Amino acid sequence: MTANLYQPINGEIVEIIDESPTIKSFVVVPEKEFRFATGQFVELTLPGEGEAPFTPSSSPAITEKMEITIMKAGRITGLLHECKKGQQVGIRGPYGKGYPVDDYAGKEVYIVGGGVGLAPIRSLFLTLVDRIKDFKSVVCRFGARTPEDFIYKKALFGPWQRIDGVNIKLTVDKANGDWSGNVGVVTTILNRDDVHLDNAVAVVCGPPIMMKFATLKLLEFGFSPEKIYLSMEKNMSCGVGKCGHCMLGKYYVCKDGPVFTYDQIKKYPNIWD
Amino acid sequence: MERVFLSKLKPFLDALAGQMDVYVPKKTGAHYVFTRYDPSGEGEVELNNIRACTPVKEFLFPLRELAAVYPEALEPSEVKPFAVFGLKDCDLRSLEVLDKVFTEAEFEDPFYVKRREKMFIVSSDCFKPGASCFCNIMDGGSFARSGFDLNVSQVKNGFVVEAGSQKGEDFVKRHSGLFSKVPDGAMAQRDKIRAQTQQQLEEQNAELKFDRPIREIMDNTHDSGVYDDEATTCVECQACTRVCPTCHCFYLYDTKQKDYFGKMKMWDSCMRMAYAGVAGGGNPRKVLGDRLRHRLMHKLSYFLDRYGINMCVGCGRCVDAESGKVDIRVVLKRLYEELRDKKKVKVGK
Repeated sequence: MTANLYQPINGEIVEIIDESPTIKSFVVVPEKEFRFATGQFVELTLPGEGEAPFTPSSSPAITEKMEITIMKAGRITGLLHECKKGQQVGIRGPYGKGYPVDDYAGKEVYIVGGGVGLAPIRSLFLTLVDRIKDFKSVVCRFGARTPEDFIYKKALFGPWQRIDGVNIKLTVDKANGDWSGNVGVVTTILNRDDVHLDNAVAVVCGPPIMMKFATLKLLEFGFSPEKIYLSMEKNMSCGVGKCGHCMLGKYYVCKDGPVFTYDQIKKYPNIWD
Repeated sequence: MERVFLSKLKPFLDALAGQMDVYVPKKTGAHYVFTRYDPSGEGEVELNNIRACTPVKEFLFPLRELAAVYPEALEPSEVKPFAVFGLKDCDLRSLEVLDKVFTEAEFEDPFYVKRREKMFIVSSDCFKPGASCFCNIMDGGSFARSGFDLNVSQVKNGFVVEAGSQKGEDFVKRHSGLFSKVPDGAMAQRDKIRAQTQQQLEEQNAELKFDRPIREIMDNTHDSGVYDDEATTCVECQACTRVCPTCHCFYLYDTKQKDYFGKMKMWDSCMRMAYAGVAGGGNPRKVLGDRLRHRLMHKLSYFLDRYGINMCVGCGRCVDAESGKVDIRVVLKRLYEELRDKKKVKVGK
């Protein structure tokens, strides 16, 4: 009998971290070791209610538990936000192709992120930092609506900024309190000389509108479309390229993605919608 | 392949029904639908002249099924062998499409695979295609060339039966008493009927014989306004995708039962508004025309890219089932004309 690809493995939520007014991180312990590559996603089942796709935000080096950062945006995410520690969940996956980290070796990695898009980026960031010497540099440009809306604040505002080889700049759409940084959408902190174009790759993840304008900006700088990596979040359901919900042109985001180069998908209509 | 002759269908179906459940097309109103064959019935069985209205996919990929049970996994129940009688070439080619999707290495759908293994296929030649049939445009025709266990061709005074697999040959050998030697002239007659039917298809679809591959037409007109225009009469009834024998989209949802949770798998339709929608309101195919474009591009371009064959078999079911006026043949023709005229303009410049 072929293994049933619709069968979830069991897991438990052991910790819930409030990241922002609308975003929580859930630490999930699967019943058995669970390996994934950074950028791959899982289908998280809330028993009896349904499942939804999420890219783990933790480092793939940790296999006994994973963190999943979730914004309250729809029915399942709303129900997940009401969950307490000890909640049983189901996990299917991992699915798709993640970030081709090995291809980034020796290069400057230019990461542009916004909002809950920092979730997959955190996993990538931790992966890169684990072997930081392999990369020329890791340059991050992150945005959020307000300072409170930044997730992973503790790491982001402190320790991550002090890592050798890492350069982080932050911006908020609307400042309040004692925010002394940049104010403006994320494209306002992107500069042509942030990286050397001839030896850089860009990674973009965030709300669709932000991804669109960040990508346009990178193209304007002269980035070639095949060097811009986008984490496309569509309605992935089966995870194995059959059910059709996540199709983006000829691609199944679940199987061929969720990470695509802009070059792969630029010809299809409504990719940012 | 071994060929034998059968004078009546009933003893043949009775023999088949002695081994497994048999499904036969039964005339219901203007169409045929598959029903369980009842050997106790009197009289000869009528051979369907055209494909059934319902798609063969329902035998392998039912409208709704239990795909997983958790937290304690459940071994799925065994599938009994079954036979489907009267399938046409378009049906067999639709199985080829579904096989590509559901038996793909690494991503096998265990439920589909199990049923497919237990399926015995008796196909039959078409001798009266419908007005919506355009299989000859989609690499098919009046009879099946492969994909069957047995194929039945109606001729004068009986049927030529041809085995297309080991399973089929074994059946013929085991029931040799049912069959006789193919009479003189029966093969020639069979071939004549096949050619006549093919000729009818060629004539009724002459307008769809384009001077370039359909794939090329699709890829060069994907931004055409024809889709928006043709989609205006669509009422999102989704009938086109339900009856389509190659459409295989599904929806996974979870249920709460007394002793377990279940993950259900149910047919879905890419023509549905919320189909590609995500939490938060994003939807790349909010507009009806975009959904029609996606459906047809999937069938006639994207699928080819991935699996090397068209995802449309030209059975015309979607045309028959349509509540509005969307007709894949009309869309194709308009796209072709648009491309042809566009090229002409370019040359003129």
